[in-house]
Amino acid sequence: MKKILIAIALIGVSMSIHAQKYFTKEGKIAFSSDAPLEKIEAHNNKATSVIDVESGRMEFALLIKAFQFEKALMQEHFNENYMESSKFPKAIFKGQVVNMDEINLSKDGTYPAKVKGELTIHGVTNEVETEGVFEVKDGNISAQSAFEVAVADYDIEIPAVVRDNIAKIVLIDVNVNYQKLDR
Amino acid sequence: MRKYIIYTGLIAVAGTMAAFFMYNKPHESIKKAKPAYELNAGEIYSDFEADETLANEKYLDKVVQVSGTVVESSTTEDGIVSITLDGGGMLGGVICQLDEFSDHEKTNYTAGETVTFRGKCTGMLMDVVLVRCVEVQ
Repeated sequence: MKKILIAIALIGVSMSIHAQKYFTKEGKIAFSSDAPLEKIEAHNNKATSVIDVESGRMEFALLIKAFQFEKALMQEHFNENYMESSKFPKAIFKGQVVNMDEINLSKDGTYPAKVKGELTIHGVTNEVETEGVFEVKDGNISAQSAFEVAVADYDIEIPAVVRDNIAKIVLIDVNVNYQKLDR
Repeated sequence: MRKYIIYTGLIAVAGTMAAFFMYNKPHESIKKAKPAYELNAGEIYSDFEADETLANEKYLDKVVQVSGTVVESSTTEDGIVSITLDGGGMLGGVICQLDEFSDHEKTNYTAGETVTFRGKCTGMLMDVVLVRCVEVQ
């Protein structure tokens, strides 16, 4: 019995040593819609993200209302008509770096990464897969990625009148600098 | 006939102008906005922690005025300043991101200062996030 307890305690200790996490509260996520009549861009500097460097599990969350647009009217339409951000205040990604075995985040370098997971926007969850890059410099980890999201996949309806103003495929740009999570 | 053409022209011009101003209408001025709630950072944080859905209904998209003690301040590469106020929680507080469209007398904040910000509440992640903040004296 005692041995088992010790074994459990040891496993617990070794797990807490290995479960090295990095996080940020200031992730930058921008999107752009390039339609024939209008180019729309917005950015959000308050995305949170956590990555477990051992397992490659990662999560992102952001508040839809924190997206800042150049024009107030666009921001209003985005929140009220398309994203319904009072009903669905957050967008969340939960996923996994697939090729974590090729990446060593404790060593300086640039590592291409494949990420797979579930993206929830506007209350709709879809499987997504994308590529990105981890950069480790002087022990600081940063990550970049760019991917496309089809508006229709997330049940976001665009009225026919503005069909030429809003792109069907929106480009998402992710840029985060991680800090060590000391806990 | 000529009168008719002039009137149509005038209406068209007025319509175009109205559309133009609508399209370019400025962002709501936070400085001039009357806050829906005035409270301290601990209160809004515990409201969100207690019941996020309820707090969202109450605060989301509203202009709120929050007072508190600065825990940390940071500036991104693009010059966007964020100040975290102590919310009394273990992990989070209230983050106030300064407004990009306003001029700020001060952008340097040090831990321990007591400040009051007015901004728009966007919800909670780990912290309650206010954007477009301006300092209120």
